[in-house]
Amino acid sequence: MIKEFIEASTALNNKYVAAWKKDGKKVVGYTCSYVPDEIFHAAGILPFRVRGFGATDTTIGDTYFGPFICSLPKCMLQLAGEGKFNFLDGAIITPGCDSMRRLDECWRKAGKDIEGAIPSFFFHYGVPHKYEDYTIKWFTEETRRLIAAVEEHFNVKITDANLKKAISVYNESRRLLDRFEALRTLDEPPFSGEEALAVILAGTTMPREEYNTLLEEFIAQAEKSPGIKNRVRLMLVGSANDDIGLVRVMEGEKALVVADNLCFGSRFYTDQVGENGDPVFELSKRYLGHNDCPRMYGDYQRRLNILEQKVKRAKIDGVVLQNIRFCDLHGAENGIFERDLEAKDIPCMRLEREYGPLVETGRMKMRVDAFIERIQQRREVA
Amino acid sequence: MRQETKEYKFDWMLWNTFAAASRLKSGSPKEYQAMLKYIPYFSRIVDTILSTGEPGQKFIEICSKYMENLTFAKEKGKKTAITTFCFSPAIFYAMDIVPICLEVLSVMMTFIYKRGTSEFLDYCNEVGFTETSCSSQRGTVGAYLAGIGTDVDMFVTDTPGVCDTNANAFSFASAYLNKPFFQLDMPPDLTGQRSNEYHREDFRALIRFLEAQTGKKLDYARLTENLRELARQDEIIAELEDLARIVPSPVPVPYNLMIYASRFLFAGMPECTGVLESMLKVARDNAAKNISGLSGGKEKLRAFFCYIDHYAQNMQLWQMLDDNGICYQGNILSHFWSHNAPHVAHYHKEDAAYHIDTSSEDALIDSLGMINSRMPMIKSIRGPYDAPNMWLEDTLGLAKIYNADFIVYNGTPGCRNTWGMVKLLARDTEKAGYPTYIMYADAFDSRVQSWEATEERFMEFLKVRRLV
Amino acid sequence: MFAAGCDVGSLTSKAVIMKDGKIIESVIIKSKARPWESADEVMNIVLNRAGLTMKDIKSCVGTGYGRDKISFVHEAVSEIACHGKGARWLVPTVRTVIDIGGQDCKALRLDDKGNMVKFITNDKCASGTGRFLEVMAKVMHLNLDELGEMSAKSKQPVTFASACTVWAQADVIQHLNDRVPIEDIAAGVNNAMASRMSTLANNIGLERDVCMTGGVAKNSGVVNALEKQLGIRIKRIRREDPQIAGAIGAALFAAEKANGGAK
Repeated sequence: MIKEFIEASTALNNKYVAAWKKDGKKVVGYTCSYVPDEIFHAAGILPFRVRGFGATDTTIGDTYFGPFICSLPKCMLQLAGEGKFNFLDGAIITPGCDSMRRLDECWRKAGKDIEGAIPSFFFHYGVPHKYEDYTIKWFTEETRRLIAAVEEHFNVKITDANLKKAISVYNESRRLLDRFEALRTLDEPPFSGEEALAVILAGTTMPREEYNTLLEEFIAQAEKSPGIKNRVRLMLVGSANDDIGLVRVMEGEKALVVADNLCFGSRFYTDQVGENGDPVFELSKRYLGHNDCPRMYGDYQRRLNILEQKVKRAKIDGVVLQNIRFCDLHGAENGIFERDLEAKDIPCMRLEREYGPLVETGRMKMRVDAFIERIQQRREVA
Repeated sequence: MRQETKEYKFDWMLWNTFAAASRLKSGSPKEYQAMLKYIPYFSRIVDTILSTGEPGQKFIEICSKYMENLTFAKEKGKKTAITTFCFSPAIFYAMDIVPICLEVLSVMMTFIYKRGTSEFLDYCNEVGFTETSCSSQRGTVGAYLAGIGTDVDMFVTDTPGVCDTNANAFSFASAYLNKPFFQLDMPPDLTGQRSNEYHREDFRALIRFLEAQTGKKLDYARLTENLRELARQDEIIAELEDLARIVPSPVPVPYNLMIYASRFLFAGMPECTGVLESMLKVARDNAAKNISGLSGGKEKLRAFFCYIDHYAQNMQLWQMLDDNGICYQGNILSHFWSHNAPHVAHYHKEDAAYHIDTSSEDALIDSLGMINSRMPMIKSIRGPYDAPNMWLEDTLGLAKIYNADFIVYNGTPGCRNTWGMVKLLARDTEKAGYPTYIMYADAFDSRVQSWEATEERFMEFLKVRRLV
Repeated sequence: MFAAGCDVGSLTSKAVIMKDGKIIESVIIKSKARPWESADEVMNIVLNRAGLTMKDIKSCVGTGYGRDKISFVHEAVSEIACHGKGARWLVPTVRTVIDIGGQDCKALRLDDKGNMVKFITNDKCASGTGRFLEVMAKVMHLNLDELGEMSAKSKQPVTFASACTVWAQADVIQHLNDRVPIEDIAAGVNNAMASRMSTLANNIGLERDVCMTGGVAKNSGVVNALEKQLGIRIKRIRREDPQIAGAIGAALFAAEKANGGAK
């Protein structure tokens, strides 16, 4: 069962995507968790979260991006340039962060230089940086603009009825993921953090109905499985991570990542989309408001509270605050998280890393090991 | 941060330095020369600015005045707001709030102190801020995080949607010091009904925030006065920009910096108008006599900087340009988007420009919203670089109208935004016939690349591209 | 009962044998390409010198980058914990340890009982590590010891790009070409290093006493500059070579394991 999830989360053009395409259906990629999947579902299109996983170098990425840029969008562009995203029929770029939003220009220019590197539908989807009545209004209009563009390009009709259906399918998914989360945070969780990330990631790469079915089976099985004992319980916070290998390195033999606050992780299922009312408005409201990324400036306290609740609920021993180099949004917020969580006696470790092939595992492991030793020492003292 | 740095109030030090500099010329020339020896790290810049005559004298005076306002803000019972260069301070002045402009203070510090802002830059990292963040804010905000600046009441920025590292510096500092935060958020498009409405709503929210923080209602009579003054400043700047198009340009090299710095410090205030008026007088005189503004008297080349300047100690960038007979045709910071600016009229970009309308309270607020959304950087670095009204269009338009021979990019390694697209921009400007040089230095931190290395590479570029 | 600690670093490998809380023998060698080869060699030498064989060692702990690849150790412990442990043995009052190794540097804080409270390490780049000094010394045709001594003579240290080894190297060459006195360049290099370290150390919050371990602790230029930067006295380690602190820590952990976990 877990094999299915691992495969779907580690292969770009996985068997579900291949089967979907074989039926002549379309796939649209998006780069950021602020894009509502439901819109594409309602159009009969498979939404696929674009990733940088599997890039072995960034020669193409570096041709377009400057040097002081996060390696995640560079890896995404690399894969696009290498033709690894040829199965995409469209791509949505957002101003999730500055590195990511410049993927817009860089991908377009690469598309001119390298044949087939860019899908025919390419859309810049604006996302406000604050949550107010007038920003929700603007974002709702932006979502309508996206819907209209999808309808026109793919010659489909996205009806309210279909949107509502999509919302209900995705909400079902969120409810299942809540149950999954409850298992993940048990005193003796039935699966590792690496497996947990695979399960969550798979959701962004396969058709949602099939995902829900698989997820339900997985939960039923996990509920009966024996738990993993005696591990240091970690929470992983910070920059985007779509590599289950990173979690594997951190967990090693001694630790378990039992919670996260990542955009490729639990942020997707923290809240439901309202099922009554105008579906476009409800989607816009939920995606703008309950997606706790430091790009939403001035909202630190709320995010700190979320972390504190998670620490309590999941009985976290230590928090790993990681950021990809040049990710100042997470990097800086991690700095204050560290101050405020440590003040409440929650051990934290900050870690800056490069996105991409896990070349720094030695250094990372050394630090995580030392962190685990610190936590174990605390336990002994206690 | 060294112990001795913590001993002095940061803003008090800057105020003292500029106050002393503003009095230098009151003595005899001999006394003046004698005094310069006592300020070895500041003497060249003082001399460069003061040698421009009345404009320079006035400029140093308003820097001193600004620092004085800031240093004594609390004693005078005023609220203080940490803000950014691309935020028009007119609204703060109308509400009796003292604006603390991070980047301008970083430039002042970099210009005059041997160590520049390095200790404050590093202090930010010590308390958890990333070292890859932009040095322009870090260089000053470090002092406030360390508690050696005037008490801060709030943080206000308008860079969300434009520059992450800028906005993030404000968001970090406000969380760190637990002070109120407000952002004006910028949608990707500059024009159009949706953007206009968004800007308007957002600006109204700002006024509600400022009213709540100060406990006072916005004084519209005062705002009207400030905006009229701002309009007067726009007229002067428009004329200065028009004069700069003449060959040879009658505008001296340091004027660009003095124009934008005055605006960032005192937009809508008579202090800024005074500096601008005196600059205009000199430029007009030079133009009438057909004299070049360069101190060598001969214009060899014209440079347009498509982003920001390099603020190494002693204004070395300006010195280098002046020494080599390179007429400096401004950068993205020094061009404002008033409806009467020459580049607006020339390219019929009225849609992208702002008008000041003081006819009603609503009109006043809308005008302010428009001014702010069209501030340097805010205007053209928000959407894709090749979209209408954005970076490429502005760069090519300005380079053309000012007859630039080449284009230079300089920024900071913290600038995720421009580093994400500058290679593409340079590709396009080269295609349009402008040799384009990308500098890898940090405008605010010469530890990244020393000025000597920067200068050498710059001159190498001119040689390789046969511009000299 | 003999306990051993083996610290395989990127530039040097260290081994220490202890008996009843005292050091019997210690060795530092240059590391080889493969960590296990370094470990074997350094261990053989130290055993030889002590007149022992591996059978005499009741417990052995490995640390450093290659710690997982050493065949003869009974347990691997991170070098962060080992340096903390070793430093406390060397300076019992220590609360903050700054360690500069060949290719990384770290700062860690201990509580009054010697438990690790907080630590930080540098990320990726070689700036602020022993490698940085090594590269700079090479460009100046100095050996590492001279770099420290030289800077004491400086009257006007140059200001350096502390950010990057590659750029700083170019700057050193430029200063040499400009005939800047070599002691001023050396002092500049040490200051750059100290400034990098002080940011790291301040990041975890300093508590007295502060001491430095690792090879760079032997460079008086850096230690003096760091004292100035931090505005706090750094206790000099005189009991043993500060470079073997990690190996001492490992040996102490080994002794604890052999004694059934007693502290």
